[in-house]
Amino acid sequence: MPAIKSPWRKALWAVLYKEGLCELRTRYALSALAMFALITLSSVSMAIAGTSLTPELAAVLLWIILFFCAMAGLSRVFVQEQETGTIFTLRLYMGAQAVIFGKLLFNIVMLLALTALIIPLFIIFLNVDIRLGFSLSLILFLGDVGIGAAATVTAAMVAKTQGKSALFTVLTFPILLPQFLAVISATAKVLSHTVPGLTELFFMAGYDLVLFIAASILFDYLWYD
Amino acid sequence: MLNGVLALWSAAVLYAVFYIVPPAQGLGYLVRIAFFHIPVAWVSVIAFLISAGCAVQYLRTRNILYDWWGSASALLGLLFCLSATVSGAVFAKLTWGAYWNWDPRQTTVFILLLIYGAYLALRSSIEEQEQRAKIAAVYALLSSLTVPFLIFIIPRFYFSLHPEPVLNSAGKIAMDNSMLYVLLAALAACTALFAKVLTWMVSCKKKRQDQTAAEYEKELRQL
Repeated sequence: MPAIKSPWRKALWAVLYKEGLCELRTRYALSALAMFALITLSSVSMAIAGTSLTPELAAVLLWIILFFCAMAGLSRVFVQEQETGTIFTLRLYMGAQAVIFGKLLFNIVMLLALTALIIPLFIIFLNVDIRLGFSLSLILFLGDVGIGAAATVTAAMVAKTQGKSALFTVLTFPILLPQFLAVISATAKVLSHTVPGLTELFFMAGYDLVLFIAASILFDYLWYD
Repeated sequence: MLNGVLALWSAAVLYAVFYIVPPAQGLGYLVRIAFFHIPVAWVSVIAFLISAGCAVQYLRTRNILYDWWGSASALLGLLFCLSATVSGAVFAKLTWGAYWNWDPRQTTVFILLLIYGAYLALRSSIEEQEQRAKIAAVYALLSSLTVPFLIFIIPRFYFSLHPEPVLNSAGKIAMDNSMLYVLLAALAACTALFAKVLTWMVSCKKKRQDQTAAEYEKELRQL
């Protein structure tokens, strides 16, 4: 191991930059995710052909699409490293905290970009009327942060297992479920034009915070042998 | 000796449930299901906590024994959780009219079931013993984060058909005395049964491990 590791903020940016660069070179994750989102949305829209969804159903659909998109692409940050063997080099140069938070931030940025892509499609295909733009953005942001944080830690776990992609969904879902219930009910409220209560927002933000802290503590055990 | 006491105790609890407990108001003799349902639900949560505790101990000491305790506890927890879910669903059908209606506690037990399933699936997909122990321990701790949310927050957010816990916030016990004693006895019996099977599973595992080690050593000596 190098005697002096770079200061963690610099290291974090280095990891984030590296992830971004890899993604820009291959454009694998984002293009696959975008296509995945397009297919699910359009197939539901085709199947219901013009009938409008109730706010509850629309909210559920939105989060199901976001969750499964995340499951299709987010495990890549660790699985790719494991498969190509670059994880050993990364381990030599970077501390655990820089790696987890760099990758976590990258995943959150990816999810936010994906959300920005899905929402217009959602409005077009499903004929949803959104009046509370700010509340919806806030809920989407908090939900995306939660999915990103949980998925990054479970990605680090599944990288070392067999049958990675199937297991990834199985592991991530129970951890996200409490957040999911809150996010879906808040989104349903926003889609039926009522402002969600502060307690719901606090619950979501609190859950995100807890996931961040857990990621920071637990990743050390996964990273250093 | 201990086995005999446990068997006698369980038999006594069964006798009490069928012959001593009076029919409850509104439930009639269906209340007997509760004497199975509540103890197994209790044990399925205890098993999860034991598993998480063993995970902490494993990560601190790297003693593989803790991993054995943790995984055996999770396996048993899954069985108890399944029993709680099934008995609860039957109870719900007989009293509320539907097997499943996403009552907050049903949601909670469902998530617990998912966590147990995910934990065991994760274990079965890693071959190397130490890696498996480490990653499973991390997952047990990560999933234990949901517990406070499941137990304290979700049941308060949504309306529930479940009765208030026996020891509710007011500190009063809304139960017939004989029922309460039988319930406590059933809880003790169920927990003791769980502890018994758990220790048996771990000792079996240990014995098998020792046997393999002995055989290995013997083969080495022959070489």
